[in-house]
Amino acid sequence: MAAPCRRMAARSLFHFLSFSRTAGGNSGFRQFSSTSVHRATLQTKSVTEKASSPWTLMAAVCLQRLPVISADCGPIERKFRDMMLQLELEKSLLSDHELRLLEDAERMSRKQADDYDSDEEDERGDQEIVLAQDLEDSWEQKLKSFQPALRVTADADKDLTSLERCLADSLLLVAEQQVGGEKLWLLPQTQWQEGETLRQTAERALASLPAAGFKATFLGNAPCGVYKYKLPKAARTESSVGTKVFFFKAILSDSGPPAAPNAPFLWVKKNELQRYLKPAYVMKVDRFILDL
Amino acid sequence: MNAVFRKLQVSVTQQACVLNQALALCRATPSSQHPVWASVSERQYKSMPTHGIGRWRHLLPKEAPKKKKDKHQMKEIMAETDTTYGTLNVKVSGYDMTVVEHYSQYIHNLCNRLGIKVAESYALPTKSTEVMLMQEQGTKMYVDAVLKTHERVVQLSRLDTAVCPVFMDVLLKNQPEGVELSVKEHTEADFQARFKGRPELEGLIAQMSH
Repeated sequence: MAAPCRRMAARSLFHFLSFSRTAGGNSGFRQFSSTSVHRATLQTKSVTEKASSPWTLMAAVCLQRLPVISADCGPIERKFRDMMLQLELEKSLLSDHELRLLEDAERMSRKQADDYDSDEEDERGDQEIVLAQDLEDSWEQKLKSFQPALRVTADADKDLTSLERCLADSLLLVAEQQVGGEKLWLLPQTQWQEGETLRQTAERALASLPAAGFKATFLGNAPCGVYKYKLPKAARTESSVGTKVFFFKAILSDSGPPAAPNAPFLWVKKNELQRYLKPAYVMKVDRFILDL
Repeated sequence: MNAVFRKLQVSVTQQACVLNQALALCRATPSSQHPVWASVSERQYKSMPTHGIGRWRHLLPKEAPKKKKDKHQMKEIMAETDTTYGTLNVKVSGYDMTVVEHYSQYIHNLCNRLGIKVAESYALPTKSTEVMLMQEQGTKMYVDAVLKTHERVVQLSRLDTAVCPVFMDVLLKNQPEGVELSVKEHTEADFQARFKGRPELEGLIAQMSH
């Protein structure tokens, strides 16, 4: 990794730590591919650029499963919703169906009267056969025969590896990977290789997860967060001071075949993250995960 | 008789006193009111006492004379650069109009807050879908329900690549039920699709070209 990366990494660090949305700051990501092209043409400048950066670059994917059902309303929300429904009901006008119900009821009462003359009635042949009340009754029957699926399944909630847990919240994929000698729980990541864009690295990280056929849509070409890890003083050498991990957001589109029961990944909510991830890591990751 | 006269005189003087007092009361009140405006028929705003009085038209900005024939020009479609996306159409569609409209308003406000420039925000015509069910006895189909699909479009002129994942994530997490969201690039065909076709004009043009 040459200094173009270091320059890129530095610039992108600045850009993303400040979480800015300025158009002026180049998203470090695209320039990766363009500087590698420029290296061929700007031979004279490349002498200074050949100094390698001591940081290892990695890209990680923040794969999320969006909520499937809407969250339950809190007590205030429920009261407000009831009040608004009541207000709207009181302010509303009668619909076509309700008007028809009233007309039919009126016509029935007129029929029952002794001095009923059917010739005086307006020509409405078919409406006398099918009353609006009958329609309503048939709709009620259809509604009763409809069984909606359960909103909350208590068993699935406890199973951290299942995708069906906590349908009202968004879940994040956390995998156990080997990092420098020990197994750690973190967002799936792989090392950046020369010539590919960081987003491609993140896609590779997702595809290389063992026994998982996750299909995801990446939300953008720019990373959403970064985590810098300096190796302990004993392990530091001239060429590797630490690693920088860039996170890319993705939304799960298809979960593929069900994973094996002891596959090393979990689907966790944002508030369960600190149980599995290291605290410094969680601090950086928390910043870009939205818990709406 | 004297007694009667005395009583009459007393009563007359009493009435005169009462009248005098009433007159005094009436005279007191007009002075507290504004003498001029009490008789004006237009209602005047309390905060703008001099509104419309005197020469004021020269103070207003000059308006260009409105042309009768104003052909709708398309706003320029921005091309995408290295760091931003070009003109994007965020289309929100669904069956429930209030939810769709509220969601599109939410997107518009979110763009304003995040500093994303919104070029236009318009609605596409409503499409009605008739749901027809087969009758239980017989082969005739009858109309069960009419569903109306409403569409609202928020057109963004530039979207930063850095803001894009954040923006999309917020939109997806706040998407209400029953609403579809799609983000596509804006093309000239999309713009032309908003206009109604003019069959007579096209027929005449075809005749002219032949």
